[in-house]
This record gives sequence, structure tokens and C-alpha cells, in this order.
Amino acid sequence: MAPRPWNLIAELTYRCPLRCPYCANPTNLDDFPATLDAAAWADVFRQAAELGVVHVGLTGGEPSVRRDLEEIVEAAAAAEHHVHLVTAGLPLDGVRLAGLVAGGLASLQLSIQDAEAEASDRIAGAPSWDRKISLAEAARELQLPLTLNVVLHRENLERTGTLIDLAARLGARRVELANTQYHGWALRNRKALLPTRSQLEHAASEVELARARHPDLEIVFVLPDYFADRPKPCMGGWGRKNVVVSPDGRVLPCHAASELPGLEFHRVPERSLREAWEDAPGMNAFRGEAWMSEPCRSCPTREADYGGCRCQAFALAGDASVTDPACARSPHHGAVEAARAESSAHSAWTYRGKT
Amino acid sequence: MTDALEARLERILDERYHHLHPFNLRMHEGTLSRDEIRTWVANRYYYQTRIPKKDGLILTKADDAAFRRDWIRRIHDHDGEAGREGGLELWLRLAEAVGLDREKVATCGDVLPGARRACDAYVEFVASHDLLESVASSLTERRAGTIMVVRIEAWEKHYPWVAPDGLAYFRSRTVQAPRDAREGMAYVLEHARSPEDGDRCAHALERKCEILWSLLDAVEWGGSAPTLAPGMRLRSDREGWLTVGAERAVQLNASGREILELCSGERSVCEVGAAFAALHPNEPAAAADAYEFIEAMERERVVRCASRV
Repeated sequence: MAPRPWNLIAELTYRCPLRCPYCANPTNLDDFPATLDAAAWADVFRQAAELGVVHVGLTGGEPSVRRDLEEIVEAAAAAEHHVHLVTAGLPLDGVRLAGLVAGGLASLQLSIQDAEAEASDRIAGAPSWDRKISLAEAARELQLPLTLNVVLHRENLERTGTLIDLAARLGARRVELANTQYHGWALRNRKALLPTRSQLEHAASEVELARARHPDLEIVFVLPDYFADRPKPCMGGWGRKNVVVSPDGRVLPCHAASELPGLEFHRVPERSLREAWEDAPGMNAFRGEAWMSEPCRSCPTREADYGGCRCQAFALAGDASVTDPACARSPHHGAVEAARAESSAHSAWTYRGKT
Repeated sequence: MTDALEARLERILDERYHHLHPFNLRMHEGTLSRDEIRTWVANRYYYQTRIPKKDGLILTKADDAAFRRDWIRRIHDHDGEAGREGGLELWLRLAEAVGLDREKVATCGDVLPGARRACDAYVEFVASHDLLESVASSLTERRAGTIMVVRIEAWEKHYPWVAPDGLAYFRSRTVQAPRDAREGMAYVLEHARSPEDGDRCAHALERKCEILWSLLDAVEWGGSAPTLAPGMRLRSDREGWLTVGAERAVQLNASGREILELCSGERSVCEVGAAFAALHPNEPAAAADAYEFIEAMERERVVRCASRV
């Protein structure tokens, strides 16, 4: 029997005014023209509540490029979900944010690319800093719980401590320092983004110092896969807790799973969300432990890490069903070591394509 | 070297002894509420019960009969002996004098989890360190006599509702603590022979200061007011009750729901414990369960405990 999903990640669109080189969206964005309309999302939210979902993260792309975001927020709130909006901070503004809160928005995650304007705008590939800061101020004014999210990589990792101070100054309750996951555009730009070990160690010590400075701020910092010996329990396990619905209605175990070849997923509204969650062959491909091969199969940590990330296994080992190469026990761990050796300060990145 | 070590240990006490803790400052300036006084008395009793056990451990480390003969007096001071009441009994009288149920305090069933950890940490420290470090850790007694004098005066002045004979414990320590501290310091200065020994003694005393400090932190936590953290919602679905927030959902059993509903922002942690215990008269550990649950939920950031000071 399929487990109960708790969280629905609703990718409302792949469109985004920013062009961050670490974006995990698919690189073939133009292949996804269709998007679910607000009525279709409302139906997804009702079905999700039936399945046991209690939390909806509205994300993208940039969800606020949708003119019907208000309607979507209200529909998610009407289905009793905690409604959490993940935004780059534009085109959303404070006035519109107040309306969303009135419609049932319960918390906000705002991304920022670096600790000061010029660097942040350069990484985002678009002027956006001022908008982000004023949105954070609007959230504070509205007493809307705010998480600041920063994707870390070679170019901004050295400002980890300053970024945490910024989060505290903006009144964030939580700051997520998310080391880049190498999917989508990020995989393409890996050479330019992958940090050095000494940068990471410095960042980790900055985090510890910042924890003492800001005892009330929840600081999330996890050593990235490429520098850890054990894989992460990606998405809390495949098809286990989180259900992703992509802009075109595909029901997925994670936002990147559609890039894995040979997996068949279902789509709403053609199928019910329940059918797509419980029965899609792709959804069941890596559920539980039956699919595992060695070294996962006999490994005591398989119950904690679920074999790691399937997309990373495919990207680095060419086979989504093998142990995540981030694991030091993987026979493909050499691919991670090779990528670390290959990263270079002299590499330029490619900005995410415009959509 | 002995002068230098003594000065170093004194400086540690000047800077880190709990006479500087905000709770003690408030106690001595007279601004604690009756509930705060009671919470302190009930929780500090657990510390009193650990002292003779700690001293028993020190006895087992000593090879010298003369040392043991002197040190065993500390156990008698706390446990009492024929014709003389000990510190534990005097503390229970204090508990009665502040309006607590003596029997209930004596069971230590409602001790706050942080206070229990702090007191247990002291016994564990002594169990896992040598005689010199164990004696050094007892040197907080060096300030105990002074703090008791301040305390007696403050209580007589600011808390006249406490019957005067309740203060007998404090009075007894004004005599015992300086004597114990003198003997302890003499032992440390005689036996700390190398700079490394001096460092170990300093660290032991610092650790002990931390333990006393965290005991008061725990008492303050007991007076803080727990509520659901901002953005967190308590709700039901077909499988039962849960809290949902921006990053996490937590499924609750019936007790968890009751406790969170009591966390209205008007009650302190201790009052939530008492209210939950009143709902479950046949469960002696109910209040302690509530404290542990609130603590776990605070760690998960589901609950926020706001200071009411």
C-alpha cells in the first residue's frame, strides 16, 4: 500500500524572471507549454487533502508570475492546507502579499542569491535585490513567518555568516542554506558552481559562530552531497511523504524525476491524484526497498537514507536504480571525486534560459 | 603556584557563579512571584537529594582515612543523624513554608527536565572524574555562605509570606558552606601539583558553575509561557490531531493535543503541567510527561516558550 503523502509541492509554472545558473528546473523548459489552470489546481488540492496532505508548497519557477495566484492560494486554504509560498520576490510585491495573506497564505519562503545587491543581482541574472528586500519587509509588517533561502555555491559560500546575519536582520524565523543540488541547469553549470572543500569547511564554521549570535533563528545548513560520505534521504524517500505536481500536471516523487528515462508517471486531471500517487509505475519504481541492489540492499543505513537520490544516481552513474554515487560505499563514488577535481574557479556559468 | 591557582578559581567564581544569574538577581531584589519561588524550591530540592550521592562517590575515590572522616560529615549534614536534622529535612520545611506539598516535593516527580539533567550531570561529573577534580567541582561552596546571607536578608524583606522557620536551611549553610569550602580549597591547593592539575581543577569548577547556571535556566523555563509558534496551527483530520507549520507536521496523540490546547500563552510551563496533571489524577507522571512533551515540541519549533519577565 502506498504511504500517506503529507506535503504537496505544487509547481505552478516553470516561468521565472530570474536566470539563476543553479536552477533545478528542467533544461528543456520549452517542452512544457501546458499549465494547469486555477480550477484544476483547486481540484488537485481537494484530492490531496483526501490523500492525507496537510501542507501545500506553491513553487515554480516563480509562482507569482501567475495572475491567478490569489485564486490558487484561496483554493489551497479552502482545502484546509497550510499554504506556503516559495518566491524569488518578484513580480510579487507587498500589496499583493497582503492580499495573499488575507486569502489564507500562512508562510513565505523568499530566495536571495547573495548578501549584497550587486552580487545577488549578478547571480540572479536580473535586477531583483531591492524587490526581495522590500518583500521581506512587507512579510515582517504582515507578521507572516518568513524563511530566507539561499542556494550556496562557489560564488557566495564565503558570505555564509553575512547571509545569516541578513536573515536575522530581515526578521526571518528560519534560514535555509541549501548547497546546490546538481540537477537541471545546476548540473550543466557544475564546474563553475561546485565549491572547494576549504570553502565548505569555512562556511560550516561560520554557521556555528552564527548560531551563537542568533539563538532564535533556525539555521539549516547541510553539507552537500558531493562532500559527504553518506547520501541524503532525498525527498524523505521516493513516493513516501512528498508529492510533486509539475506545471503540466505530472504527478512525481520529486521535481527532477521526470528527467529519468523509462519511468511512466500519470498526469492530472487525466487520472485522479490518488491513482497517480498510488499506482503510477514510475511512482512505485523506487518505493520501499525491493528495488535496491548492493551495497544498499544489505546496508543498515538504508532505512535512514533510502539509498539516496535516484536522479543523482542517473546523472552520475547512468542508472537510476543503483546506490547514489554520493555514498562512499557506491562503486560509482569515483564520479563524485572526479567532479570535485574538475571544478574550477575559471569556469563561467551559463544562465538559465529565458522562458 | 598555589596562590595563582586560588586566584584563578576565585576569578571563575566571581565571573560564573550563579549569584549573577538573572533568576537569582530577581530573587534577591524581591521581584519573584510566589509561583516562581515555589518552582525554584521544588526543583532545587532535587539538587539537594543529589548532594549526598555525589559525596558518597567522592568518599569511594579517597584512599586517605582522614580525608574520608572529614568528608563524610557533608553526608551527615544533608541526611541528618541521631538528634540532628539534615539539610534535606530542612529543605522540605522550606517547601512547606512556601506552600508546597511536602510529600509531593519529596518524590521529585514534577522536577523540570532541564533541572533533572543539570543535577544528574553533577553526579555524573563526579562519577567520571578523579578525586582532585571532584573536590574542585565542590568549590562553588566558596560563594555559598555569602549568597545565603544575601538570600536570608532578601527573603525576610521581600517575601514575608514565607514563615521564618522555613529559612532554617539557608541559616545552616551560612556556617557549613564556608567550612566545607575552606577544607575543599586546602585539599585542591595541596594536591594540584602541576599546571595540568590546575587546569583540570579550573575546568571542573567552570563545569560546576555551568551546571548551577543551567539549573536556574530550567527554573526560568518552567515560568515561561508556551504557545504554538507563529504560523503553527493545531488541527484535526480523519486520522486524528496534528500541528502543521511551514516546515513540519507533527501527529499528536490525545495527550499531545490536550497539552498543546493548554499552551494558551496565559499559563506557564509549570501551570500547563499542573493543569494536565489535574486532567489525569491517576497518572503520577502526568506533569513530567507534559514538561517533556513541551520541551520536545520547542526543540521542533512547534512551540515557543516566551519569557514572562
